[in-house]
Amino acid sequence: MDVKELLAQYGDKYIQATLTTWKLTALAFSLAFLIGILITVIRVCPIKPLRVAGDIYVQIFRNIPGACMLVILVYALPYLNVILSYFNCVLIAASLLPAAFCSEYLMAGINTIDVGQIEAARSLGMTFSQIIRRIVIPQALCSSVLPLTNLLVATMLTTALASQVPLNPQDLTGLVAHINTHAVGGVTAFFISAVIYCATAVVIGQIGSLIDRKVRILR
Amino acid sequence: MKDARLSVRDALYEAPGPKTRRRVAAATVVSLIALAALIAAIIRKFCISGQFDEKYWSFFLKLTTWKFLGKGLLGTMEAALMAAVIVLIMGFLLMYGRISKSKIARWICTALIEFTRGVPTLLFIYFFFLVVPQLGIKMSAFWKISAPVAISAAGMVAETMRGGVNAVPKGQKEAALSLGMSDVSVFFKVIFPQALRYVIPAMLSELVIVVKDTTFAYVVNFPDLMQNAKVLISNYDALLSVYLVVAVIYIIINYLLNKLSVIAARRGKNSSPAVQSENIVTEQI
Repeated sequence: MDVKELLAQYGDKYIQATLTTWKLTALAFSLAFLIGILITVIRVCPIKPLRVAGDIYVQIFRNIPGACMLVILVYALPYLNVILSYFNCVLIAASLLPAAFCSEYLMAGINTIDVGQIEAARSLGMTFSQIIRRIVIPQALCSSVLPLTNLLVATMLTTALASQVPLNPQDLTGLVAHINTHAVGGVTAFFISAVIYCATAVVIGQIGSLIDRKVRILR
Repeated sequence: MKDARLSVRDALYEAPGPKTRRRVAAATVVSLIALAALIAAIIRKFCISGQFDEKYWSFFLKLTTWKFLGKGLLGTMEAALMAAVIVLIMGFLLMYGRISKSKIARWICTALIEFTRGVPTLLFIYFFFLVVPQLGIKMSAFWKISAPVAISAAGMVAETMRGGVNAVPKGQKEAALSLGMSDVSVFFKVIFPQALRYVIPAMLSELVIVVKDTTFAYVVNFPDLMQNAKVLISNYDALLSVYLVVAVIYIIINYLLNKLSVIAARRGKNSSPAVQSENIVTEQI
C-alpha cells in the first residue's frame, strides 16, 4: 500500500490516534508534574518518615518497567476489587512512572542552588516559606526546564503502552498494530506513526530549549 | 551528590528550638500513623479479596517455580545483553557520524539520532514483529526483541557518547595533533578512550532502559521473565502474587544497576573532575 491509499483508508483513524496520543501525553504529564512536586516537597520536608516514604516511591517507580506496571493495573487490581477503565490504567501507568523522574529532576534542580543563598536569605530575615517561594522553587524550576522537556517526550513515548490494551480510539502505536494485523500496511503504516511521534518530539524539544534560553541562570 | 543533597535539604531549616522540635516530633508520629494506616488499608484489601490465601503463595516455596522464573530472567538478561552490545556499536557509529567532518554524514546521523529518540520502543517492536515478516525476512523471537530494543536506545547512547567526547579537554587534541598524529588516530588513541571512561556511569544507567524495554518480549513470544510469569499464572491460577513478585525482581535488578552507576560516577569523579556536572539522571521510563 502506498501513502495515498493508506491515508484514504485510515486517514481519519490516524487523526484520532494522534489526538489520543496527545491527550494521553498532556494528561499524564500534568499528573506526573503535580505528583512529582508533591513527592519533592515530601522529600525535603523535615519529617523523617515522609522523607523515607518519598524516597521509596521514587525508587519503586523509577525502576519498575512500564509493561509490568500496566499489567498490574489492568489484570491484577481487579482481584483486589479495584476496577479501572483501560484508559485510566494507561493514564495512571504513564503518570506514576514519570512522576518519580520529575521528582529526581526537581531534587537535582534544588541541589544546584548554593547553600550560601539560603543562608543569605535567612540572614536577611526571610521566613521559611519566603525562602522556599522566592529562592528555592524559582531556581529549581529554571534549572529543570530541559530535563522536564525530555521528560515530556519520554511521557509521550510511555503512552505507547496504550497499544497493549483495547482502546477506542486507539493511540498511534496501537493503530499501526491494528492496521498490520487486518491489512498489509507494511512499512508505510509504521512510518506515518513514527513521523507523527518524531515531529511532536521535535516541536516539544524546540519549545523547551526556547524556554530554557529565556529562563536559564548563568552561573 | 549525596552530600550536596543533604546539605541543601538541611540548610533549608534553622537549628530547631524546643517548640519546633516538639512540633516536628508530633508531625513525625502523625505521619507514621498515616503511613501505617495506608499499609494497613492495602493489607486489608488483600485479606478481604482472599489474596493472602496459601494457594496463591505456597508455590513460591517450590524450587521449580524459582528455576522457571530464573530461566525467564536468563532470557531477559540474554536479550538485554545482546541489545546492549548492538546499541554500543550503533551508538558509536551514529556518534562518529554526527561529529565527522562530512556534512552529509552529519546530517544523516543527526536525523537518525532524533528519529530513534522520538519513536517509542513498542512501535519498533511492532515493526519487527509485524512488518519485517511481510518483507519476507525471517527472524527468531530473540532478534525480534533485541533488535528493536537496541535501535530505540541507539540515539540516546550516541548522544551520551558525544557528551563524553565533548568533555575531553581541547588541549589533549591540540597536543596530539602537534605531535603529528592523524585525525583518526587522535580520536581513537587519545579522545575516545577518555570519553568512554567519562560516560561509563551514564551507560550503566542506560542499561536500565534496555532491561525495562525487554519486558515487551511477550509481544514477540520470547520467553523472558514476564512471559514465563504468564505461564506460571496459568499453571497455578495465581495472577496477583506472580505479577507482584516479578515486579519486585525487576525493581531490584534496576535498582542495583542504578546503584552501580552511582558508584561508578563517584569513583570516576576522583580521576576526572572535568565532567562533574554530567547529570546521570537519564529519562529511563
